[in-house]
Amino acid sequence: MKIPVSWLRELCPTDLSAEDLAELLTHKGAEVEAIERPGAGLAGVIVARVVEVRDHPNSDNLCVARVQTGSGEQEVVVGVRNMGPGDLVPLAPPGSRIPLLAEPLGAREIRGVVSNGMLCAPDELGISPSHEGILVLPSGPEPGTDVATLYGLGDAVLDIEVTPNRPDFLSVLGIAREVSAATGTPLVPPDVGVDEADEPADGVATLEVHDLERCPRYVARLLRGVRHTSSPIPVQARLTAAGMRPISAAVDATNYAMLEIGQPLHPFDLPLLKGPGIVVRRALDGEAMMTLDDLERTFTTDDLLICDLERPVGVAGVMGGELAEISEITTDVLLEAASFQREGIQRTRRRLGLSTEASMRFERGVDPEAAPVGADRACRLMTEWCGARVLRGRIEVGGAPDRRRIRMRTSRAAAVIGYPVSVSEAADVFDRLGLAHEAEDGDTIRVEIPGYRVDLEREVDLIEEVVRVQGYERVGSTLPAIRQPGGVPDRYAFAGRVRRAMVGAGLREIRQVPFVSDRDLALAGGAPAVRVSNPLQADEGWLRTGLLPGVLAAVKRNSYRHVRSIALFEAGTVFGLVDGAARESLAAAFAVSGLAEAGWAQPQRGVDVFDAKGVVQAVLSELGIDWSTGPPPGPPFHPGRSASILADGERLGAFGEVHPKVAAAFDLGGRVAAGELDVEALQRRSSSITVVREPPRFPPVRRDLAFTVDAATPAGAVRDALVEAGGDLVDACLLFDVHVGPPLPADTKSLAFSVDFRAGDRTLTDGEVTEAVNALADRLERDLGATLRSSERGGSARR
Amino acid sequence: MEPIDARRILEEERARGRELVGAAASLEALEDAKVAVLGRKSRVAEVQRSLATLPNEDRREIGRLTNETFAELREVVERRRQELESGSDAALLEADAVDVTLPGRRPRTGSLHPLTLVEDRIVEIFTRLGYRVVEGPEIEDDWHNFEALNIPPDHPARTMKDSLYVDIPGMLLRTETSAVQVRTMESQDPPVFVVAPGRTYRREAVDATHLSVFHQVEGLAVDEGISFADLKGTLEAFAREMFGERVRVRLNPDYFPFVEPGCQVAVSCFLCDGAGCRVCGNGWLELLGAGMVHPKVLENCGYDSERYTGFAFGMGIERVAMVRYGVNDMRLFVEGDARFLEQFEGAA
Repeated sequence: MKIPVSWLRELCPTDLSAEDLAELLTHKGAEVEAIERPGAGLAGVIVARVVEVRDHPNSDNLCVARVQTGSGEQEVVVGVRNMGPGDLVPLAPPGSRIPLLAEPLGAREIRGVVSNGMLCAPDELGISPSHEGILVLPSGPEPGTDVATLYGLGDAVLDIEVTPNRPDFLSVLGIAREVSAATGTPLVPPDVGVDEADEPADGVATLEVHDLERCPRYVARLLRGVRHTSSPIPVQARLTAAGMRPISAAVDATNYAMLEIGQPLHPFDLPLLKGPGIVVRRALDGEAMMTLDDLERTFTTDDLLICDLERPVGVAGVMGGELAEISEITTDVLLEAASFQREGIQRTRRRLGLSTEASMRFERGVDPEAAPVGADRACRLMTEWCGARVLRGRIEVGGAPDRRRIRMRTSRAAAVIGYPVSVSEAADVFDRLGLAHEAEDGDTIRVEIPGYRVDLEREVDLIEEVVRVQGYERVGSTLPAIRQPGGVPDRYAFAGRVRRAMVGAGLREIRQVPFVSDRDLALAGGAPAVRVSNPLQADEGWLRTGLLPGVLAAVKRNSYRHVRSIALFEAGTVFGLVDGAARESLAAAFAVSGLAEAGWAQPQRGVDVFDAKGVVQAVLSELGIDWSTGPPPGPPFHPGRSASILADGERLGAFGEVHPKVAAAFDLGGRVAAGELDVEALQRRSSSITVVREPPRFPPVRRDLAFTVDAATPAGAVRDALVEAGGDLVDACLLFDVHVGPPLPADTKSLAFSVDFRAGDRTLTDGEVTEAVNALADRLERDLGATLRSSERGGSARR
Repeated sequence: MEPIDARRILEEERARGRELVGAAASLEALEDAKVAVLGRKSRVAEVQRSLATLPNEDRREIGRLTNETFAELREVVERRRQELESGSDAALLEADAVDVTLPGRRPRTGSLHPLTLVEDRIVEIFTRLGYRVVEGPEIEDDWHNFEALNIPPDHPARTMKDSLYVDIPGMLLRTETSAVQVRTMESQDPPVFVVAPGRTYRREAVDATHLSVFHQVEGLAVDEGISFADLKGTLEAFAREMFGERVRVRLNPDYFPFVEPGCQVAVSCFLCDGAGCRVCGNGWLELLGAGMVHPKVLENCGYDSERYTGFAFGMGIERVAMVRYGVNDMRLFVEGDARFLEQFEGAA
């Protein structure tokens, strides 16, 4: 809501500056977001009288106006010709400034004629958006008078963010009430005195309301002899500053009264109303009407229409229709001031996708007591501005509900706000707010709630008024006595452990928007997903079922930015659809791309599946999880360079290189190592408690054993068999070399292990170790067809 | 040998020995010099062997002189040996030198996301005050997200945050972590002291200070005798822990349907100490919304609103992170740009 400060001062005559008012209102809950000064760029524009207008000698479109400014005469070249000799016009002489131009005006030759500045249109002075012609000023001011001072164009405007609970702040009066409460400056309500004509309104037009629930009150005022003219220039400037467009004096009067008092008003051209009469009723299903914005609207039976005796002429509380629109030839007006149920207006506004100043106020809540006040204010303004006669009396159906009375216990107020409040202090607060009240006993005060305070419904609302008016700075500072230890649930704590383990494995955490496309969904395995009904982007209409597509997309963005070595992970919620219900669970995913090793100290190398496996090993070891590799998980992984992660047959996740087609789809060159982890499965498997064993007291005997096996035999199987066959004596086993090619036979490979043999109670003898080597070599030969290379077997194996 | 000759020889050998040893330029040369001055064929050894032939009155004295000479020359040789040895070490080490300005071999380093760092810090502060972390679903029903929070279907507050709905009847992506308040109160009796971190969703245009998907930490305290002053004190304690001891807290009235009185909470800028600077503008940084839990919300959760009062607050983690790290565009948090994220290595 934009409030011109001069208007505010009219209703609450305070000396406070715009800045002080902004701070004061913000402290009281009407947050001033900005102070605008639409006339800030205006300086030196003066009133001039047109002496002569003649054709420009060198142009068919331009003319030359000779104007008198009080200190002599000047010539100005003008592009339009709506002014004539004797008219007063705004002149921006050389050296003056107007808001639309960054530089001061100068004398300038235009097609051979020197123009001493320019004559201004309304938009150039910020008076209205109109640029149709030079602004012809009403008679009165002397030539040479400063235009900005004359019409108050230097006004500051407060841009106030109005919270939904305070629809009364959608008016200058509402804000003035708040300033009055805060400063103690008495309120000066707008003048609503109407000099009524003898002719009674009753009998001239009829009024029926068929739905009193949706329209609990309808007030009509009739006016005759409405002259078509413009409203006064300061009024136009105020309407423009408040964000509305000046149209004509009659329409401006209704808008001005609405902005001032908060009551939306609508003028109908009385002779155009069939009857003439007004019927307020629900629409028929499919009924249609042209609204003022030249669009044909179709309605449902839930929409409320304003009709004459034959057809709809307006959408209640939203917008008028074309059929009874007032125009330049209108002389007689039926002015509507009504109360509409806010939920109904909201539904209609949503259905029509049509939000107006009126609907915005009605759906938040308009003071039901304000209808006659708003109507009278507009009538008074039309009398002043258009010479209208107001017919005697109002045509009225319905009325305002009785005022609520709410009790507030000061003891309760003290308990909620944390400092003592007496009945007299509370009475002072309600006095300042202009709310009638009476003390019931030493603790309780009863407050009468006027119609404009729709937000005051129960005791706590009054308690808030007390602390708000007294000031939040009065609230003390204490800590509650908490008699419980703080803590985090296991699931939350475990997610934190996973994140830290992944950081420890050299990955950077990312957080992504969890909406994904059809393609991402397919990449994540195509499991049933939850669809977003009204997605932000049409092509990202699903909630993610897995994290890997998002991580790959982030890898792609980084590769576009020439990041050399990319290692990212995300840990967060994924969404599934199980039996029509959403299921949320925690997952983690990572991807490594680009150079794994780079720099002067080692040969450059790209990533591969073992970078992914290394991450999994590091993370699961950090989490205390024993695991083994299982069969390839399928898409989106490379079938020959991936594995699932198993623990006792339960799947914990998968790792591997991303399938080359998937990498290409993400525009990623080279191999991409990635993995996915089911965080909840990890949590079930994780142990954080370690039972230590004593460090060994006897030295190991280290033997390097190389086995030749069939090329297809997995190294993991050989290692497992070796460890198992060695029994208690094999203490550690490191695979240190894999060799393929001569001198080995084709389709075989050599796997070299460095094995530590150790016993817990003695130093092993050479003979014992040799015996163990022979035993496990036999076993490997039998089970896997492995042959021990070189001369390791037998007694001479000592290195 | 005459005693006088013996004395002269010993005298000469001391001087000659020092000279020979000092001239030895290598360990090999030193070994030769050592044999020459201390060996069995050396002149001092010759004197030693002749001791038996000397008269009794001289034998004792010359014997002592001989021992002294041996000891002295041994010491000279030992000193020279140390000199030569350390000299050759230095030469060897010099040949082994490298350029230590070359980069080190460093394992790949990771980093936590700034939102994780901030969430962890917030949670740490509140758990130390005695709060427990609770979590709730991101896909919520209308009751927990709206109705129970005093936002009935046609309430104008629903338009404050247009929602994202899912194709499951009655379900939407939660617009605030406040939904977890309701779930917590439905599942336990007072006293309640909890914080609920999580992701929230709004149908809102994304710009430098708004995301449609963002994170909040909700706080809720309900017990007998909880007051607005307790809210202020708690937020002050939090702000000092988060931003430093000198930070002040300011409450301005604001409206949220589920609290009353409600407030907008700002902290004095910790960069300029409230004087006004490029980051804060007017000396204050708006941080969060808060207020006393609306009695209707307590009643909706089955609590006796006469007996119990409470406060609630909800802060945007992105907002706190922007303030804490001086980030001026919220979109950086969701872009996954490694050049942004790498700056949080080792950050807290």
